[in-house]
Amino acid sequence: MILAKLALGAVGTLAFVTVYTFREGTIRVDVDEHRPGGSHVHFWVPATVVPAALHFVPDDKLQEASDLAHEALPIVKIVAAELEKYPDADFVQVDSEKEHVRISVHGGKVYIDVKDSGDDVHLAVPVATIEDVIENLDSRSKAQ
Amino acid sequence: MTSHFRKYLKSFSIAAAAALLLTPFAASGQTASSNDKWLHVRVVSSDNKGETVRVNIPLELAEKVLPAINKDRLHNGKVTINHNDMEGVDCRALLAALKDTKDGEFVTVQSHDSDVQVAKQGGYMLVHVTEKRWHEAKDAKDSKEAKMTEKSRVEVKVPMKVVEALFSAGKDELDVLAALRALSAHGDTELVSVKDGEQTVRVWLDSKNVAD
Repeated sequence: MILAKLALGAVGTLAFVTVYTFREGTIRVDVDEHRPGGSHVHFWVPATVVPAALHFVPDDKLQEASDLAHEALPIVKIVAAELEKYPDADFVQVDSEKEHVRISVHGGKVYIDVKDSGDDVHLAVPVATIEDVIENLDSRSKAQ
Repeated sequence: MTSHFRKYLKSFSIAAAAALLLTPFAASGQTASSNDKWLHVRVVSSDNKGETVRVNIPLELAEKVLPAINKDRLHNGKVTINHNDMEGVDCRALLAALKDTKDGEFVTVQSHDSDVQVAKQGGYMLVHVTEKRWHEAKDAKDSKEAKMTEKSRVEVKVPMKVVEALFSAGKDELDVLAALRALSAHGDTELVSVKDGEQTVRVWLDSKNVAD
């Protein structure tokens, strides 16, 4: 009986942690370089991990990133906040014989897809994660 | 007491899990209203690469982002203009004259290289520019035999209220933000159309979030 309760507790906790971890969806990165020795990178991470991981980045490194993105940060902040109003939209689409570029938002995720003769790059990031990261960078740079 | 607490804890856990699960859907459900206006740009190249570019931007997004961009000549949604850029044309005087003019053809400037027509019609300012291409005749001695073909044709159709908003800032400024606001109050409209031998450009405004 005690074991059953323990198992139930463990399963419940696991379910809770899973739901919490994936509540903002996942970030997906796929990079394929179609040439001999080209790299192939495929990974996905729960979106909630990124803002949490930022807390462990040393202040000086974060300041460096913040300085580099200084001009773009306010713009990205506004765009990210506004994008929540447009959950399904294609913003940019470039198609030619050899290249295909697409920037869109579907289901609250920003998708960037680039395909040319040499490389395939696909990136999917939840809009909420972009907002969290910007907020984090902003507050950390203000605190310093 | 313990069973009450357990029931309470169970209900709370289920409610919390449901709330956490549904949060992203609730956030993504906040869609823009159907009245939102979208600015569309489409560029189709007719060269052998056959490149097509489609850009769709919500006007509201542009209105929010524009004041945040402060670079070069763009500040707080206004562009500083250089008099050299205008090649001696007094746009304000032109606009004032255009405002008081009846509908119909207003100005036609014909030159060797291009024809420019500026007119006011049905609350719109129309600008048509035709660039000419001259082909020399086989017998170059007689220049009258040179033939003219159309190199490119640019058609711009902007609501007068938008043009007025654009020139509503200071003397050396164009208020792009005010123009965007005036544009968002306007109905669906074709704004720019460019056709030449290499590409076709179309800029228009409507309520759809995809290009046709």
